[in-house]
Amino acid sequence: MTGAAKTLVENFERERKTLPGASGWLDVSRAKALAAFAEAGLPHRRVEEWKYTDLRRLLDDVSLTTAPDHLGPVDLPATAFEAMDCYKLVLVNGRFRADLSSLAKLPKGVELHPLANVLSEQWAKKLIDRQSDHDGATRIIDLNTALMRDGMALRIRKGVRLDKPLHLVFLAADDGGAHARHLVELEEGASATIFQSHLAAGASSYFVDQVSDIHLGADARLEMVRLVDEGAKSFHLSSLRAELEAGADFGCFTLTMGGQMQRQQSFVRFNGEGAVARVNGASALRGRQMADTFCHTDHAVPACASDTLYRTVLDGSATGTFQGKVVVQPDAQKTDGRQMTNALLLSREASMNAKPELEIYADDVQCAHGSTIGELNKDAIFYLRARGLNERDARRLLVTAFLDEALDRIAHDGARDALRAVVANWFSAEGAAT
Amino acid sequence: MLEVKNLHVTVGDKEILRGIDLKIDAGEVHAIMGPNGSGKSTLSYILSGRDGYEVTEGSITFKGQDLLAMSIDERANAGVFLAFQYPIEIPGVTTMNFLKTALNAQRKARGEEELDAVRFLKLVRSKAKPLNISDDMLKRALNVGFSGGEKKRAETLQMSLLEPQLAILDETDSGLDIDALKVVADGVNALRSPERSMIVITHYQRLLDYIVPDVVHVLSGGRIVKTGGKELAQELEQTGYAEFGADAA
Ligand SMILES: Nc1ncnc2c1ncn2[C@@H]1O[C@H](COP(=O)(O)OP(=O)(O)O)[C@@H](O)[C@H]1O
Ligand SMILES: [Mg+2]
Repeated sequence: MTGAAKTLVENFERERKTLPGASGWLDVSRAKALAAFAEAGLPHRRVEEWKYTDLRRLLDDVSLTTAPDHLGPVDLPATAFEAMDCYKLVLVNGRFRADLSSLAKLPKGVELHPLANVLSEQWAKKLIDRQSDHDGATRIIDLNTALMRDGMALRIRKGVRLDKPLHLVFLAADDGGAHARHLVELEEGASATIFQSHLAAGASSYFVDQVSDIHLGADARLEMVRLVDEGAKSFHLSSLRAELEAGADFGCFTLTMGGQMQRQQSFVRFNGEGAVARVNGASALRGRQMADTFCHTDHAVPACASDTLYRTVLDGSATGTFQGKVVVQPDAQKTDGRQMTNALLLSREASMNAKPELEIYADDVQCAHGSTIGELNKDAIFYLRARGLNERDARRLLVTAFLDEALDRIAHDGARDALRAVVANWFSAEGAAT
Repeated sequence: MLEVKNLHVTVGDKEILRGIDLKIDAGEVHAIMGPNGSGKSTLSYILSGRDGYEVTEGSITFKGQDLLAMSIDERANAGVFLAFQYPIEIPGVTTMNFLKTALNAQRKARGEEELDAVRFLKLVRSKAKPLNISDDMLKRALNVGFSGGEKKRAETLQMSLLEPQLAILDETDSGLDIDALKVVADGVNALRSPERSMIVITHYQRLLDYIVPDVVHVLSGGRIVKTGGKELAQELEQTGYAEFGADAA
């Protein structure tokens, strides 16, 4: 075992007794998951799904000892979604802070708790213990199962609509590791909008490891808009597993910008016909930043639609990666599966790895996938300058437009405007980063 | 307004303009006619500052300033406007947003106050209407999927909004049917004024029936080989460019 994996295993041994659910079924699951993790170790370049992101090497550069409970005051950074009226659930170092959250007056039929409060409930167990196909990408979830300390658990009962967005704020106040698990269970016909902000609030070298387990019942609707804007020396790892029953509608948009390294994984699986998943995102990186997006969609049943667009802008010597896979199972006729990734390189040192894949075992389907990697169009810059824009503004307008085409996919108007403003700020920070 | 002296321009190793002299006073409209490949677009690009063209000899003075020493956007902000022969597609930027950004960039560069959204919208609509440009078209990404005629009308709209001192129209007639040509020509004519000069580049005489020039130049093989009044355009229509040593037009 390498240094990083060893530290993580030691964390478990030290904390096992104090982790939530230590006396119940979860302890068994944790021990099993840890054993599997210890055996496999951290993923590295020779694992296909981690080809461009050697976790084994990269995690050596970040503080992994579990971050302390942070009960004192926190410098709350302004969040992009602040202007909107939301329920708010705040996690600091991965742990729920009731005093910073505002969860009053939830509609009847909406249960929103810190993770620790629901661990004795069957629906939570079902989500956590769910079987993923144990492949190179999902395997890392074992680490989270072993070490997760807290998180957000949301259950919405049949037909109930969450009346305003829920904003999940994930703050890193101290160096070290934070392992959180979020559970979202929307029963038949329920609906919700969730915003997520990941921000540094005092921490420098830290590791965020979170897993979101989502289940959408028939005709349920979930819209997620996520901003991952971590500190410059952080490593952010997110895995999202969503299962959709018939007619469910799932939208997820992730904007990634701040951290040293971020890996976002999504695994969407259709269990019932007529469901729709829109998993989109954008990254804007500079300096030596890295972002790796892994996007897996499993069309296990007929007549579902999935659509993914990821746009990446890379300046400095930043590196972007997009690996996508759309699998259409033999029974999944009438599937509509689309996956596109586009990258814009603003400097010669920047690089992009793109690997969109289709695996189709049904014949009556509509699938398309593709990727482009390009530079700013010189003719377009000339055209804009010939109309009076200086070079910087011309470039900025073109880059913004490039990202906008991804941001346009955010269904929630307020959230879309909020993330547009974040992108605008990204340009203002130009020159500040190395 | 504009004085070009003994201008030699090369692209790569190839000399394309081989000694151009041109003097345009305020309020004048000069037509530059010539066969394909004679260097018309090259002249328009050199005036607007495009990269990749090297001036090996000669000078260009614009309103008393050395134009060649100015950057692309400095020229634009000083009042040079090129209506492109092939307007560039700008995906993701609506025509409306583009127009606003351009106008405000120029106003800012000239030390004028930027226009707010309401005043801008009013202004754009008043300029778009005579060009048959709908709000719908303004909402589309600039030039993306525009027909030939839409592109040329969009160029004309930009010109009428930016009110340049020197407008260079590079084959604004190409790809237009007669109705579209009239709309564009009306738009251009509306901008004629004693303070504004224009260079109208065209291969065919047809456009000059609608935008009547003060002076006509014939460009061939990188040189101005003949200069005359508006009747020269009609003559060319009869004789073609062959007598100037070019391939038949
Ligand atoms: N970027 C370039 N590289 C090489 N040759 C060019 C380039 N631009 C123009 N030329 C050449 O210069 C000549 C003049 O072109 P152009 O100015 O476009 O003519 P016109 O507009 O009169 O048709 C042509 O022979 C053309 O092939
Ligand atoms: Mg030309």
